[in-house]
Amino acid sequence: MKSPLIKTVFFTEILKGLSLTFRTLFRPAVTRRYPKVKPVVAAGFRGLHALSKDDEGKLKCVGCGLCGAYCPSQCIHIYTNEGDDNKKIVERYEIDILRCIFCGFCVEACPFGAISLSEHYEYSNYSRAEFYMTKEKLLENWDRYFAGEKGKRYYREFWRPLSADMHGHEGQAMFSKIPDAIRSGGKK
Amino acid sequence: MNELLTQSLTYIRSFGIIGNIFLILLQIVVVFVAALLHVAYATYWERKVIAHMQLRLGPREVGPYGLFQPFADGIKLFFKEDIIPATADKPIFYLAPVIFFVSALTSLAVLPFFDGFVVADINVGLLFLLAMSSLGAYGIVMSGWSSGSKYSFLGGLRSASQVISYEIAMGLSLVGVMIMSGSLNLSEIVRGQHAITTGVYAIPQVLGFFVFVVAMFAETNRLPFDLPEAESELVAGYFTEYSGFRFAMFFLGEYTGMLIMSSVGTICFLGGWTLPQFVTNALPFLLFVPGIVWFLMKVYCFMFFYYWVRATLPRYRYDQLMAIGWKVLIPIALVNIVFTGTMKIMGWF
Repeated sequence: MKSPLIKTVFFTEILKGLSLTFRTLFRPAVTRRYPKVKPVVAAGFRGLHALSKDDEGKLKCVGCGLCGAYCPSQCIHIYTNEGDDNKKIVERYEIDILRCIFCGFCVEACPFGAISLSEHYEYSNYSRAEFYMTKEKLLENWDRYFAGEKGKRYYREFWRPLSADMHGHEGQAMFSKIPDAIRSGGKK
Repeated sequence: MNELLTQSLTYIRSFGIIGNIFLILLQIVVVFVAALLHVAYATYWERKVIAHMQLRLGPREVGPYGLFQPFADGIKLFFKEDIIPATADKPIFYLAPVIFFVSALTSLAVLPFFDGFVVADINVGLLFLLAMSSLGAYGIVMSGWSSGSKYSFLGGLRSASQVISYEIAMGLSLVGVMIMSGSLNLSEIVRGQHAITTGVYAIPQVLGFFVFVVAMFAETNRLPFDLPEAESELVAGYFTEYSGFRFAMFFLGEYTGMLIMSSVGTICFLGGWTLPQFVTNALPFLLFVPGIVWFLMKVYCFMFFYYWVRATLPRYRYDQLMAIGWKVLIPIALVNIVFTGTMKIMGWF
């Protein structure tokens, strides 16, 4: 079977190819039947956004605007106002999901771990308006995907802000209003 | 089962001409329906085989294991918009798919599916088949010519030259079979095979069989010789401009053509509905299996081979295709004829 003439006459190469395809016929397919069999999403997957709530169920976001400033596709819009007791309140927090590239920079930028990305990725819809996330919808997402222990665990493991580890010396100017619980990342 | 069918056929024939006409109409309906169902499931089977050879799953969604997929495809094709290009030569454009489809279906008339079951038992059956496959080429050429599109035109020209070249090789490869059986009647060819020791002409006619199989791929425009419809170069070749039901006619015609070529190969080289005598002598209970089962099994082997080759080989270049046809297959077929003729004269066959 070495001579090229014999190879040509008996089609050894074609026969090799045929035997390969025939053996492949009996190997299991690699197809994932997606809508029926969902893939396992790794923890920390960057999916739909959610606005975190603290232990009392209130918005963690302080309206500093770092996420919006960092956002490469500029799809985060924050509107703040002065509240009754002269505190800064976040009036509107909106994300245009259709412009988002899911880079996760907003999560990294946030000093409070107030914005997070959930593992939910199936949210196709019929109208563009559905993809414009308001503060209420983002808070709802939190209840849906991060309620309870899961949110705390994800805070510890995936979007714990660097500022949480910062401990200044006595008298140093810091984000003085940050409660110890947040600063230590709920570790205690 | 064989005896029962033969007896009932004789009974209906005893009614004279009316019985004969009824019988022929019945046969036509049976053959037509069976062939179209086979065509439908040939597409399904092809998609499945090729998918699994490429580590995919193939159709799975319509019905259990996707078994209703051919019907879904058919219904879809019926409701598609029928688009006719503005530059098309309309009468010829309408006529071309009909010629292609009808010539493919007409070939079914002369095929003996089992002993005595043939719509038209004519003495020039093999010639008729070759004539019909040539007629199908007219449909292809006309569709390419009349579409008013460069892709269709090129596909039509390629197909014309390919089918004409390979028809010579195919006809010559069958001459050996004609010499050995001494008949052009397909039933007689099968009976002639049954009489010889090996039971199939594929063994004494190994060269002819080889030439026939290669030419069979070219005749039906299948890979690796699917240059007339080369997707990467010509979109879809001669039927690029066709849509809806006219497209379906080309599609059905192509798969019917595959079935017919497989049947011709089965009848002329693999013994049709019979098993070799040494097999039935060794295992006599096989005689109780109806002949149609063996016939279909052999046809399915050919069909599987079509899919298998499609999943394995890339397309030949056009000059390679012509070189194989004229410089390899035709000389081999001629050598085979000379060899077979000599053996026949010497009385060894």
